[in-house]
Amino acid sequence: MYDSERSEWMSRINAERHLNKKLRKVFSENVRVQIENDCIRVSGSLNNWDDIIKACRMCVSKDKRLHVVNDIELTGRTIPAMRTPKEETKELEGVRPDVLIIGGGISGASIARELSKWKLNILLVEKEPDVAFQTSGRNDGEVHPGIDLNKGSLKQHYVLTGNQMFDRICEELAVPFKRKGQYVCFESRYLYPLIAVYAWQRKHICGVTDTRIVGRKELRKREPKLNDSFAFALYNPSAGCVSPYGLTIAYAENAVENGARVSLNTAVLDMDVKDGKIVVVRTNKGRIYPKIVINAAGTFAEDIAAMAKDRFYSIHPRKGTISILDKKAAHLVNSIASAMFLLKQKKTNTKGGGILKTVDDNILVGPNAIETYEKEDFATDRGSIDEMFCKHKSTAKELSEKDIITYFTGVRAATFEEDFIIEKGRRTENIIHCAGIQSPGLTTAPAIALDIEKMVIEELSSIQEVTRNVSYNPRREGIPVLREMTDAKRTEMIEKNPDYGVIICRCEEISKGEIIDALNSPIPVPTVDGIKKRVRPGMGRCQGGFCMPLISQIISEHEDIPMHKVYKTNAESYITLGEVKEASL
Amino acid sequence: MISYDVIVIGGGPAGLAAAISAESEGAKVLLIEREAKLGGILKQCIHDGFGLIRFKEKLSGPEYAQRFIDEFHKRGIDYCVLTYVIGIEKLGHKIQDETEQRIEHKLEHDTEYKSGHQYEVRVVNKKGVAAYITKTIVLATGCRERTSKQINIHGTRPSGVFSAGTAQAYINILGQKPTKKCVILGSGDIGLIMARRITLEGGKVCGVYEAKDSPSGLTRNIMQCLDDYDIPLHLSHTVTRLYGHDRLEAVEIMKVDERMDPIPGTEEIVECDALILSVGLIPENELAESLHTDIDPRTKGPVCDQEFMTNQPGVFICGNALHVNDLVDYVSESGELAGRAAAHYRYQDKEYVSIGIDKEFLYYLPQRIHIGDGKGETIFYFRSSRVLKNADITLALNGKEILKKKYRFLKPPEMESFKLDISQFNLRRDDRLTATLKGENP
Repeated sequence: MYDSERSEWMSRINAERHLNKKLRKVFSENVRVQIENDCIRVSGSLNNWDDIIKACRMCVSKDKRLHVVNDIELTGRTIPAMRTPKEETKELEGVRPDVLIIGGGISGASIARELSKWKLNILLVEKEPDVAFQTSGRNDGEVHPGIDLNKGSLKQHYVLTGNQMFDRICEELAVPFKRKGQYVCFESRYLYPLIAVYAWQRKHICGVTDTRIVGRKELRKREPKLNDSFAFALYNPSAGCVSPYGLTIAYAENAVENGARVSLNTAVLDMDVKDGKIVVVRTNKGRIYPKIVINAAGTFAEDIAAMAKDRFYSIHPRKGTISILDKKAAHLVNSIASAMFLLKQKKTNTKGGGILKTVDDNILVGPNAIETYEKEDFATDRGSIDEMFCKHKSTAKELSEKDIITYFTGVRAATFEEDFIIEKGRRTENIIHCAGIQSPGLTTAPAIALDIEKMVIEELSSIQEVTRNVSYNPRREGIPVLREMTDAKRTEMIEKNPDYGVIICRCEEISKGEIIDALNSPIPVPTVDGIKKRVRPGMGRCQGGFCMPLISQIISEHEDIPMHKVYKTNAESYITLGEVKEASL
Repeated sequence: MISYDVIVIGGGPAGLAAAISAESEGAKVLLIEREAKLGGILKQCIHDGFGLIRFKEKLSGPEYAQRFIDEFHKRGIDYCVLTYVIGIEKLGHKIQDETEQRIEHKLEHDTEYKSGHQYEVRVVNKKGVAAYITKTIVLATGCRERTSKQINIHGTRPSGVFSAGTAQAYINILGQKPTKKCVILGSGDIGLIMARRITLEGGKVCGVYEAKDSPSGLTRNIMQCLDDYDIPLHLSHTVTRLYGHDRLEAVEIMKVDERMDPIPGTEEIVECDALILSVGLIPENELAESLHTDIDPRTKGPVCDQEFMTNQPGVFICGNALHVNDLVDYVSESGELAGRAAAHYRYQDKEYVSIGIDKEFLYYLPQRIHIGDGKGETIFYFRSSRVLKNADITLALNGKEILKKKYRFLKPPEMESFKLDISQFNLRRDDRLTATLKGENP
């Protein structure tokens, strides 16, 4: 053994001993830690999930290469298995893609699109009935300025480049994007010197070049509805908002337009790994033989890593709930706002949420952050809503629960290091992990996708010749938004297609023509929710009360299926049972 | 650009009545309807009981609507269906600042202003975007249903959660069966009607749950829709949580206290494949709001005077957009009165006396009376905020009683109305009108 290796080994043994001592103090003999070559494995058994989180957090190392792997068994409770689609087919049996992307969230979709610049056989599989179904469809859509991040993390590295790419990406993909800025407001004037130093450090050291402090007067002028007790605010003009599912769908559609294949309702169930290489990926639609696998499976990235025999990190799901307010409350903020009360605030691993105006002029309130062992627990509860309103009324006191039109819960895919994992497999060579992607994962996606594209091309170039896709078109046309057009343009469109003049969703002013466009889009999802995500009917204040039957009818006619085969999301989420006089009881 | 005296927005019972009465008073009328057919929500209300007051008959909803539609067509009134109003703009440049003070100098040379106000109504339909000019507008835009999220129902987001009107549209318009076994939350009239409708289609209704301690619907509907079919009504209970990933599998029901907050420990799980909500209707006034009409927080409709005019000159309101009515007969009545007033409308500066009301009222209409010309009777509509026995309603002018009426029973679900010729009192600007309601606990 060389001296350097020996000393590393010694220090590892010491660190391990030290950690075990700490763990014993809190959890007696229930938890142990072992520092392995490529990870920190925490094992044992506990009967409380929060304790498991605590134990694993205690073991987080300063060595960025070592991630905590949670092997602690949760006793007394069963962690639900991954929900998988019921259908089983042989549709994908024997396909041999150059690249198999697992996961149709913002990561998978953006990677697929960037890879479609190359002449490759790209397959993206998503277990859900639509892309952007889990985390990417359940967040506030903030494009973060990166003000809260310290230098040295992957998050910080990607957030700055990612943020700057949004104007171009959204323009290319025809996705509405607004850079409205973000205010973090402070009540106490005495904090000013402290925050001024913080802002200087962020600006000159961390590279958030446009951050600055705005005084009370300017804040009042720009955001008159925020509470007038604020003395100043940290202002980041580069913050913006985008529809997170809108961007994901756009990326995926552009990938498909450029030759990638997206297979929905396709779950990866197992893999055959031989000599450090994934040979077969088993799905409910057959066996796939990929050259390279990209793990962009969100909260299930750890499960995929385990199947690939390359599990060197753990994901601990953390859920958050957001309320959506009626557009009538849009006057509350023009941008993104939150308040900081340094002394009152508990330390949590979230930016604490805020009040955000979406590109569609709805106000979002939240999210909160709750650790959970259920990766697909999207249920909401009243406590979360109350907590968020109570908190954010100290930002804008006119905020009212009465304006809520709906609420939703999303689950973040956090690692214990609270950083991303963007790297090649450590034990398995033909996998690339894009894991631990939590906030600001939407902001970072465009930049990460470019890096992963490079990694894939480098890998593939060593085994085959990779050439450019000459017909690659970065531009996606998208579905026209009639309500935003001038009267003349709108009339011109309607003259070509009279369905653009038939309003189906009265709250959001969506025409039949736009709905049919969504049904004819590159990744058509002919369900009520699929249409809702693409063109917004049902997202208004009546929540589909008036338009849902009409949309069922349009889908039924367009797809030539009986009405009771029109679903909310998947075949189990039927809306009606059949005709009144025929339906079996 | 085509111009009209009256544009009626909405082709349901209120709008049809308004258009017919405006036309019969000599006005040039256009009716705009966003759906494919006239009749509004009555199209899907195939049960009977409509028109008892007006026609002394028990008609179905479509039959009731058809009488107005026939009359409407007989008069050859202009109308367009599948036409959606995308905006209304006030012409005549009446500029208002935040305190609603008119900036007079901007108006001096404005001929439109001198001849009265005009509005431009922009619509979209299969032909494109079009605009019409009108002197007056009658808003008859109806109401919409409150949703599960507005009453704090949590849990998963499966399919199978319908508002009662949506379930009714699936069954009665599309002929689709939405449930085998359901729970109904809310004892509003549509909920009760749907309890019977689903039972008749072979579905099972586990029960109707109501958070309040008294039913929200009409007594006759409780009897005819629940009692006759042995469907249990559970008062002071609400649904708090939904279960089921894809389709609804069960709901959690809890007892509530007097403040309608769930009582911990009373949780009960009821298996069902659908939750039908009948938890209240909200006047649909997005257009009215875009015209900056004042909204009464009690009715959730615009504030109006005895001629159903809002605080925007020439903008009238009627039917369920004004306040949620219990019977369609009153909807038609308000439509007729609003239509007639719109036909006779001439711009003039008016002075108003507001009516002060006490807490025993759920609401009281009209909220204000304009002073001056106009003889004839004014109809007052009101609901009590709780069940009252041997109740007296008193209207007083400057503290002096001018009207007193007795009611053996007042119930919030049942709207009451009475008439009074208010012009006989020659109201002045600083007069005080107050309405009080007194009664015993039942």
